[in-house]
Amino acid sequence: MRNALTIAGKELRSYFISPMAYAVMVFFFGLCGLIFVLYISSGPGADADMRPMFHSMLFLSLIVSPVLTMGLLSTERATGTIELLMTKPVRDIEVAIGKYLAAMALYAILLLVSLEFPLAMAKFGHLDWSATMGGYLGLLLCGVAFMSIGVFASSITDNQIAAIVVGLLLLLFFWLIGFLGAAASPTLGDVAKHISILENFQDLEKGIIDTKSILYFLSLAGFMIFLAVRSLENRRTV
Amino acid sequence: MIEVEGLTKFYGPHPAISDVTFTVDEGEIVGFLGPNGAGKTTAMRVITGYMPPTTGTVRVAGHDMVDDSLEGRRNIGYMPEKVALYTDMRVVEYLGYAGRLQGMKREAIGERTEFCLERCGLQERRNDIIGRLSMGYRQRVGLAQAMLHNPKVLILDEPTVGLDPNQIIEVRNLIKGLAKDHTVMLSTHILPEAQMTCERVIIINHGKIVAVDTPEQLTSQIRQSETLLVRVDTKDSNVVQQLLDLPKVTGVRPAEGTGGYYVDAMVGTDIRAALAAFVLQKGWGLLELRVVEMSLEDVFRQLTTEEEV
Repeated sequence: MRNALTIAGKELRSYFISPMAYAVMVFFFGLCGLIFVLYISSGPGADADMRPMFHSMLFLSLIVSPVLTMGLLSTERATGTIELLMTKPVRDIEVAIGKYLAAMALYAILLLVSLEFPLAMAKFGHLDWSATMGGYLGLLLCGVAFMSIGVFASSITDNQIAAIVVGLLLLLFFWLIGFLGAAASPTLGDVAKHISILENFQDLEKGIIDTKSILYFLSLAGFMIFLAVRSLENRRTV
Repeated sequence: MIEVEGLTKFYGPHPAISDVTFTVDEGEIVGFLGPNGAGKTTAMRVITGYMPPTTGTVRVAGHDMVDDSLEGRRNIGYMPEKVALYTDMRVVEYLGYAGRLQGMKREAIGERTEFCLERCGLQERRNDIIGRLSMGYRQRVGLAQAMLHNPKVLILDEPTVGLDPNQIIEVRNLIKGLAKDHTVMLSTHILPEAQMTCERVIIINHGKIVAVDTPEQLTSQIRQSETLLVRVDTKDSNVVQQLLDLPKVTGVRPAEGTGGYYVDAMVGTDIRAALAAFVLQKGWGLLELRVVEMSLEDVFRQLTTEEEV
């Protein structure tokens, strides 16, 4: 575990040395801020409700997460630094988790800073804090799943662009599967609903904290990290 | 210290190395010599635990590199062929990161970092960003991170590639100095390098070991004749034939660039006196007469080209 934290610390530092952290923040808060201003200025009497914001933030997270994770493992492969990393007494899972934690930490920073929006709302109106916190929990859990998908995508290629594309495709799959399933057949739709990111998020966002949803996000993340570790191990047999 | 047994590694259908067996004893400095593509890097990657062998076993400091890989890796300092480092880190930062991953304590990292920076001539560059360092300095950072945790075994893949001649000499001396405290295994395709730095040489070609011995033994083993260089001052146009007629002489050929002749005699004979007497008796001027040492290069060429024929 100490090794995972060491790796996470190093990666988090790299985010802030490179333009990555700043570019992502500018993108995320630029669009969030714009949406926020548009929303609250939509006329007198607009609800002090964070829900429309959460939808935009979730969508922005979906775009930001493959960007944050694209280089985590793929550049180690592309530049060859992975050889020195993997010949240190470090387990494969520690490498995967370390990289994952770095992306999660940056995502958590994004969420923390974004608390300015509900705080501003609460100052001028009556905000339902329990629903807001539920929404934040939902965003955090979505991040847990998004970043794990990104880490996996980054583990299977040495090309950052390929990692983004694979990551986005996987995310869209889990995002849209609810609609696709419902369109195919009612039974399939029922199953698909349970593995859809959107469906699981909507429960949390309403302020309903359902263990089923929490378990869903955690197990999706666990599965993706498992796949990433397998793909790291696989390099050894190539 | 390093025990390799029946090591075979396939890349797809082709073996990069097949049935390689050797041992390296504690404190030894062994060279892994072979042309490019002979399987040196593959062998080293398996020994360091980066890749598992297809078949065969590797033990480093008593630890199996498949079953007990983590413990084995703790005892190894590895410098890969292409020293790839994080280009956005500073030298000391990188060494600190490498030390923490090796499980070193903070004070130990500080102490060893100073030591390694000094040994590798990096003190002036300690705060430089690795991405801005020249190839030679990156190479030194690679060496510094390999020796940082004071490992029992150092595995260096082509440590002098890409260095200028002065740096090469520095690095070779550094490696020789390391052999006092570490077991060193280095790979190279440069023959004089192996001859100069290594106590023992393992010659590998097409993934197979073709010879293991000291550089001196190898050269004498492979020698099929005693060769002398003789230079004479004469107008006689038939020197070659006359020299060939001498007893025990098996071959005579002109030595390019010297104006003299290489005289091959039967192994275990010394015909210097007889040859000198003959030259004098003929009335030629004897300008030079010496034994020609076979270089490792000749041995190598012989071993690796015989295979192909």
